[in-house]
Amino acid sequence: MPVSPQRERWGSRLGVILAVAGSAVGLGNFLRFPVQAAENGGGAFLIPYFISLVLLGIPLMLTEWTLGRYGGIHGYGTAPSIFAVATRNHYLKYFGVIGIIGPTIIFIWYTYVESWLLGFAFHAMTGALMEAASDGSSMQAFLRSYQGLAEGHPFLLTYFFFLVTFFVNFWVIFNGVRGGIEKFSKITMPVLFVLGFIIMARVISLGAPDPDQPGWNVLNGFGYLWNPDFSRLRDVSVWMAAAGQVFFTLSVGIGMILTYASYLDREDDVVLSGMTSVSLNEFTEVIIAGSIIIPAAFVFMGPTGLVEIAKGGAFDLGFVTMPQIFSHMKAGGFFAFTWFLMLFIAGATSSVSMLQPAVAFVDDEFKLGRHKSVLFTGIFCFIACHGVIIGLRHGVLDELDFWSGTFFLVVLGTVEAVIFGWVFGIDRAWAEIHHGCDIRLPLIFRVVIKYVTPTFLVVLLVTWTWQQAIPTIRMDGVSPENVPWVLGTRLILVAIIIAVVALVYVAWRGRQLPAVETDRTLYCNEEDEA
Amino acid sequence: MTIGGWVLLVVSWGAIIGLAAFCFTIMIRGGKL
Repeated sequence: MPVSPQRERWGSRLGVILAVAGSAVGLGNFLRFPVQAAENGGGAFLIPYFISLVLLGIPLMLTEWTLGRYGGIHGYGTAPSIFAVATRNHYLKYFGVIGIIGPTIIFIWYTYVESWLLGFAFHAMTGALMEAASDGSSMQAFLRSYQGLAEGHPFLLTYFFFLVTFFVNFWVIFNGVRGGIEKFSKITMPVLFVLGFIIMARVISLGAPDPDQPGWNVLNGFGYLWNPDFSRLRDVSVWMAAAGQVFFTLSVGIGMILTYASYLDREDDVVLSGMTSVSLNEFTEVIIAGSIIIPAAFVFMGPTGLVEIAKGGAFDLGFVTMPQIFSHMKAGGFFAFTWFLMLFIAGATSSVSMLQPAVAFVDDEFKLGRHKSVLFTGIFCFIACHGVIIGLRHGVLDELDFWSGTFFLVVLGTVEAVIFGWVFGIDRAWAEIHHGCDIRLPLIFRVVIKYVTPTFLVVLLVTWTWQQAIPTIRMDGVSPENVPWVLGTRLILVAIIIAVVALVYVAWRGRQLPAVETDRTLYCNEEDEA
Repeated sequence: MTIGGWVLLVVSWGAIIGLAAFCFTIMIRGGKL
């Protein structure tokens, strides 16, 4: 059996579960989900949401856990080589470059947004945020000045928080899987839950703070989110929105779980661990996040105000509306600090997972060693982050967000689902999933993994290409002065893709694929897999 | 909040908490946490 003793391993099962859950729990859980649910039928949205979770999210998550562990025992932790050893096909590995480029590009813009959360937490402590939060326009002005898009806030301070955030991320990665990511997740994830419970408890105890508006109470706030409008289920876009939310929330289709799972031992279970990380992600998204933004905004803004705010998008809801809501509360500065610190932790546990595929690629394929691999990746990311900082006002972040945070995910997810169910083969896939398992999946999942999930993903890919990719490629809505920036961003992306394809080619030059007998060795004497 | 809203909230929260409890119980009983 191929083993790779030099690769790191997770120290404990709880560690890997918290790390994967930390990767999945990000800003989208707290900001995107409640808005999506409120806009798409309220409680009725949860029906397509849970159906998508079972038919799309969980199968794809198990695909990544399983392929990742399979790749890890062959000494590989990133999508190109995992695809190569799993399919024994030299060409399919080039689809896997998305699994390195995607998370790295997301890290490049995500870490800058993450640093704003740290900065806002700091300003919540100093009181500057609460002063600005007295009304919506002054809060918008504060955000723009913080971002360097308007005067008022010293940009050096913004840059300082970016540096702190950037180096925290790299410090965690520099210390390795067990000493860095695992230790970091074991500390930060419980803190995140505690902070979430504090804010959730405060929101639930709000009652009806405005005596002139007794209907603006927390129970009706929950009703705004949960009261079902079943007529919306006839709308295809609601089902697409639910599938999209499930896709984004689980961090599937981008290669991060593949890399994390590659540090598992051969005998480690993936079914129970995967389901546990899903349950923690859903707990954070549906229970904690669902009990914060929408009920709180309803109580202070009312149903009409909430509709107007929701039109501004999830980002404004988190950065602009929530500080205004906290400014109406006693000890609002404390709760604003708690809110932004919680979001910062959610962002940080996600961003470290975005770095790991690139570091693992350099380390596994070129044997540079962890520290040199981190340094190499760090220099590239540090330079690239400045492109986002400088080009923020010209739409560079939005452009990178679309390609890395939406399109690449669906493409890689579709490739993974087809490879796992059809090229790797459902029989091998089923045996590999259940190797070392503590619980078994119902047999129906064989059908789901082979037929339903790939079909679901192809439909998603075609729909999103039609609805989003084509208008984005045409640059609909991009102002003329930003066109050179958007085009420049695309050229750089294409150059990065070509460079990584070349690196994969160089790494695999002269390398042999594992023999078929390998799998016979892997599965021998396993009664349950016969 | 309507009865339909309550039903969906209770069922959703129950399913999620139930799944988490189920997973952690198996792991703790198996001594594999």
